[in-house]
Amino acid sequence: MQNRARTDLLSKAPLWLALLFLAIFVLLPMLQLAGQTCFGPDGFTLRAWSALFDDEAIATQVAATLQLGGAATALSLLLGGGHAWLTTRTDLPGGGWLGPLGIAPLVVPPIFVAMGFADLFPAEGFWPCAILLGVAHAPFVAVLAARGLRAVDGRAYEAALLLRGRARAERWLLRAIAPELLAGCLLAFLFTVADHGVPEFLTVKGKTWHTYAEGIFGRWTRRAVGTTFEELQSPIVAALPFLACLGCLLWAALRLRAAAPDRGVVTALPVRRLGPWRWPALLLPLGYLLAGVGLPVFVLLRWVLGSAQRLEPMSLDYARQSFQKAIDQGLPDLLHSVWLAIAVALLVVLLAVPLARQSGRRWPLLDLVAALPAAVPAILLGIALIRSFHDGPVLQRFGDRFDQSWAFAACAYAARFLPFAALTLASQVRRLPLAAEEAGRFVLRPPASRALRLHVLPLLPAVWSAWVLTFVLALRELDLAVVLPAANATAVRRLANAVHFQHEDWSGVIALLLLSVAVLVPLVPALLFGRRLSSLS
Amino acid sequence: MRSLLALGLLFATAACTGEAAPTIYVALDEQFSRPLLDRFAQELGVDLVQRHDTEASKTVGLVSSLLEERNNPRASIFWCNELAQVVHLGQQGLLLPYASPAAADMPATWRDPDGLWTGFAARARILIVNTELLPDPATWPTSYRDLVDPKWKGKCAVAKPLTGTTLTHFAALRVQLGDAAFGTFVDGMFENDVQFLQGNGATMKAVRDGRLPWAFTDTDDYHIAKMKGHQVACVFPDQEPGGLGTLLIPNAVALIRGGPAPDVAKQLIDRIVSRETEALLAAADGAQIPLRTGVAGPKDPAVKQLGEFRAMAWDVSKTAENLARCSADFHQRWPK
Repeated sequence: MQNRARTDLLSKAPLWLALLFLAIFVLLPMLQLAGQTCFGPDGFTLRAWSALFDDEAIATQVAATLQLGGAATALSLLLGGGHAWLTTRTDLPGGGWLGPLGIAPLVVPPIFVAMGFADLFPAEGFWPCAILLGVAHAPFVAVLAARGLRAVDGRAYEAALLLRGRARAERWLLRAIAPELLAGCLLAFLFTVADHGVPEFLTVKGKTWHTYAEGIFGRWTRRAVGTTFEELQSPIVAALPFLACLGCLLWAALRLRAAAPDRGVVTALPVRRLGPWRWPALLLPLGYLLAGVGLPVFVLLRWVLGSAQRLEPMSLDYARQSFQKAIDQGLPDLLHSVWLAIAVALLVVLLAVPLARQSGRRWPLLDLVAALPAAVPAILLGIALIRSFHDGPVLQRFGDRFDQSWAFAACAYAARFLPFAALTLASQVRRLPLAAEEAGRFVLRPPASRALRLHVLPLLPAVWSAWVLTFVLALRELDLAVVLPAANATAVRRLANAVHFQHEDWSGVIALLLLSVAVLVPLVPALLFGRRLSSLS
Repeated sequence: MRSLLALGLLFATAACTGEAAPTIYVALDEQFSRPLLDRFAQELGVDLVQRHDTEASKTVGLVSSLLEERNNPRASIFWCNELAQVVHLGQQGLLLPYASPAAADMPATWRDPDGLWTGFAARARILIVNTELLPDPATWPTSYRDLVDPKWKGKCAVAKPLTGTTLTHFAALRVQLGDAAFGTFVDGMFENDVQFLQGNGATMKAVRDGRLPWAFTDTDDYHIAKMKGHQVACVFPDQEPGGLGTLLIPNAVALIRGGPAPDVAKQLIDRIVSRETEALLAAADGAQIPLRTGVAGPKDPAVKQLGEFRAMAWDVSKTAENLARCSADFHQRWPK
């Protein structure tokens, strides 16, 4: 009996550790941050909150953010949704290999897309910002819409087509994929409005209007000039309602995503003939990939060749010099980024597996808890973590300088990206047959061995996908890198600064190397084992 | 489970840093400061932790961090490229006196009498001019007052005075001119449609790329643009007899009160304020102007040496005292 209790405790330990991690690195810091806004030097007060309403800039920033989110999401829907529809549903030439590439722009850090846009066009206006964020976040729509289209049973569609005609059948199809499509749009909107790095980069380039996330960070960096309790708390007070709204959006996206039926494909949707539009239709996916991947890579290549200087024409000789400078100046940052991303992805996967198992099989609400960090803008999560671990009453006990350490940066990144892995894996857990697990309980094997064979092995492909996703997201993260001391030395953060100081040449090399790493890692199984590219999405 | 425990152990090991390493917060651009600091750390045989500011929150971000960490300091040294911010920290009681013997030959103007900070290698606030748009030097602007000259209506730029050297510049101007005259000047800039951009880099790029004929920026921004072959020139403003003079903003280094490894930090400060560092910073892309006599200046003759131009006589202490008030007022006028 005692043995069994001990075994139960041990088998539950990963789950409790994962929950403890969420509590320490997400819930407690955020709660402490919120609590501090109500406790001034004289005790409980709501002065900081009432001061919020006197700030005239907030309404302007909220309006700008909503407009930006709306415009960028509309573009994400057009590009991502169009890409998914054309590559999944039609006889588009090359659709088979263009389809999986729908996720490719996710590999490119949005800051690189911004650098590309800013180099070729005046990017300080509203529309350039909306376009580049729309392009950068379109993969969310592309991947989820494609998934929705693949999950629709083709026989049902054909029955609708025969009985009710083309228009009604298409409407039925749209309704069938609507949950996935909306979830994708909500995610694109969420990431657009929470983004701080790109709008701020464009601000440095000359943009004169500001988003809400920029306003929060602006208050945070200027807290030195604040002398009153209200001024010191103002960035947090401004951020918390924003966080609540993002949480609601995320909850809606998750509900929609859960509502999408995963029927398992019995018959794929019939291919729609595009007729004379077959070749012209290529323009949309190619335009999408060109804007999301081609343009940034083109600009980076030009930088490497010497486009940012006027002393000599662009040449391979100049590229050689750029490469040499990159080795001297930026290689340590690149390596730092790669090691950090590897550690973060590993940690995230280890934490996500028990969470996914539990939410997939027993506590569906755990999905929402695990997804919570996705609703917290990275910049705010970073601020909360730094504050809590630097001088928080509880978390400071982790160690005097823990908040400066590399491990702290890895944990903070892991907290930020845990939702993506946990949700991916939970979705996979739900697809696994329950009967096999139930039968497995009767096998006379140690619990660890049973768990490994029955729970972990079938998840391995999804674990790899989650690892790759986290690795790529960690490589491209800018907002946390700005706030966390140990992450300051990552390549993306260094590049955002270096470009400002006209070091485009070697920055271009580092950026291209970073992209190569981000692209090559997901391709490893395809290269080594011939795994299909479509598994990436 | 085992792998989770192993990873936990690994992270715990990574988190245990043992004795606190000397840590430096650096507001000077990372490209210039990092190679120097790496070299100094190697010479001293220490594992130096460097934290560099981001362009967006230039200086103010690190100053905020230092203020917030005052009860539990993380930094041993603050290397700031804006003197007024360091003086402000000293006034707040965050700095520990240390008169570096390596700075004994530094003019007294650029050292705190109580040893709270030591200045070195400066940048000047200059006007960058696009020589393709304004080929005739006789037509170039020559003063900060050109920002309010109707001749340049909508054709010139200055960074928003919220962070960086522009904050210090405008705070110093306010002290120099007085509140009323400064207010009139600011009103004049708005009436003259001066473009208020986000930073000195943005103003430099607007001129470099031919979008504007001239703007205020710092010598380092100008010099890099020039080095890259862009058609730009540099004007040290307000050089006329009786003029205000060009604002010179030196770097400053200071020891943080209660910071880790103070002894190593002092050795590091000795290296940072040395003649050699001034010479290296002058020769680097940033073309910083040495404050000592006898140290070789930047190669570009357009970046003048001390003594070749009239420097603005600004009251650093008074500017630093007014910094918080100026910043709060400027945020009202130039909301982000």
